[in-house]
Amino acid sequence: MQTYQTFLSHALQTNQRQYNAGLRLNWRLNCILFVMAFPLPRGVTASEIAFLAEMETVTVVPRQRLESLELLGGPVEPLAPPRRASLPLWLALLLKRQRRANIIPPPWLHPEPLSLILDVESQHQDYQNAFSPPPPLPGQPSVLDRDAIASAKPQYTPDGNRYYPAPPFLPHNTAQTTSSRDTPSLPFHWVEVGNLLLDSASDDLVDPDQIRRLLKDLREVRMSKMRSGVEVLDEAATGGGGVALTGVGSMELGEERGFITGVVDGLRRIGSSKEQARREQMAEQRAAGGYDATQDEEEDYMEF
Amino acid sequence: MDIDDILASVDHGPGASPESTALDHQLLTRFWVAERAVSEVLPWPAPLMERMMDRVRIQVHPRPQSKTINNNLTRNQIETIEDLAASSGDTTVPHTHNPNLNLRLSILQTDLARTQYLIRSLLRARLAKITKYSMHYLVQLASRDNTQTQSTLSSQNPNQQPEDSVPEIASLTDLAPLSQPEASFLHAHQTLLAGHYGGSFMGSFPRQLRRLDDNAGGTSMVQGPELREVVFVRCLGAEVPVLLEEDEDVGVTMRMGDVWVVRWEGVKKAWGRGEVELL
Repeated sequence: MQTYQTFLSHALQTNQRQYNAGLRLNWRLNCILFVMAFPLPRGVTASEIAFLAEMETVTVVPRQRLESLELLGGPVEPLAPPRRASLPLWLALLLKRQRRANIIPPPWLHPEPLSLILDVESQHQDYQNAFSPPPPLPGQPSVLDRDAIASAKPQYTPDGNRYYPAPPFLPHNTAQTTSSRDTPSLPFHWVEVGNLLLDSASDDLVDPDQIRRLLKDLREVRMSKMRSGVEVLDEAATGGGGVALTGVGSMELGEERGFITGVVDGLRRIGSSKEQARREQMAEQRAAGGYDATQDEEEDYMEF
Repeated sequence: MDIDDILASVDHGPGASPESTALDHQLLTRFWVAERAVSEVLPWPAPLMERMMDRVRIQVHPRPQSKTINNNLTRNQIETIEDLAASSGDTTVPHTHNPNLNLRLSILQTDLARTQYLIRSLLRARLAKITKYSMHYLVQLASRDNTQTQSTLSSQNPNQQPEDSVPEIASLTDLAPLSQPEASFLHAHQTLLAGHYGGSFMGSFPRQLRRLDDNAGGTSMVQGPELREVVFVRCLGAEVPVLLEEDEDVGVTMRMGDVWVVRWEGVKKAWGRGEVELL
């Protein structure tokens, strides 16, 4: 807490200095200084997404020994060649750049699974307007058995709250043995992990040029799906409504975030008087004691 | 909540064990993404931040007893790094003794820098929101204080100044969603700002126009964060309905693993229960 307080008191002092300067100069300049306190827009930016992607876990084959480390992100297992180890991506890349380890590419980052996914994305009937299904969360049934019931198994935080793990903290990029039944799927951080590995560990990949081409094609196919779905965005502008983007990648989301939120917020402002009127009407009906069954019809869900 | 849930929650008692380090890191990362994704200030996760700060805590001089009692439990990362750096600069110990020393040092420093970045970005994002909606949060906090009569009294004050419209929050104990230092920052900041406005231009206004929380004509001039903005969420529970407005009416239902574009107000409660994740 000490540093936090120092940080705040420093921020206060800086502001005080800015006020004094502003008094002498121009208060408008002061306002500009204010906005600059944190210039980043709402939602994580591209570089922050890359930072998150570096928390993904990958499998490495170490070339040298290293005792286990207690990191702030959790303990790291000791490295003993030739035994495989699971490390966070940033650490794997750090070791790779110093030629201390080789990275085993994730199961989806091979030419065959990627071309399979590309076929599904571009040819398959069910996925004309949707992304290919993402890897399931723990407890989530695979796409193959749709009838199975999802049973989320929460962990518990030290404060007693429920915690469901999600990417980047799931082993979606480790070279573990996957059962043959599992279809290949693109993990949440596929763009970032793919590019990071192509940049820094291309000699560990199988046919990196082919992989690079496939990743580029996949990006283009999926980007056009994202763009073609603009018409259904009106759904998200109504209260209680929404638009499904299941299977979207983190970087793709980051690229389209500004556009989608801009469109939806614009639509919401246009429809706000209508929404207000509808809410008042519903309140009147409720006051009259009747339940209006027709209100649900408007909330049917849409998919890209 | 069934009996398994209760048993599981008892298993993980309080206290910062090494096993909870990874979990806390994941919680902090998720909270950081969430804080960056919405326009309001989220409730300050005091226990989590205290545990994280304890692990990162900057100390110029390592405490001697913490090293001898239990090496890994109470020693924090900066002490560890300082010890390693000290031994690498020690010329009496031959460098061949541990060839991995520099590597370990660089790994630990990278790890520390990454965590510090997370915390710094989180705090800055919160400060930016607090300064942007400072009057909104001050009014919100002050409305909890029942003894507050100052603002009504001061409207009859003949020497009305912009500073008078800044509510006093020093006596408050419940500061949610802010932390204690954030709340005092908020108050000091707004007092300075009001004084600055008064000194630069508001002092020449008529007395009745000098308030910063004016709501003449039924329109409040205090702007708050927009809760109807859409956010991107991933559903983590088995099924999570999107709520309509403030009431309990249910809109669409998200299923596990789905990613949706929905209104923040519709999933705010589910986010509080940890059943959805902001992206």
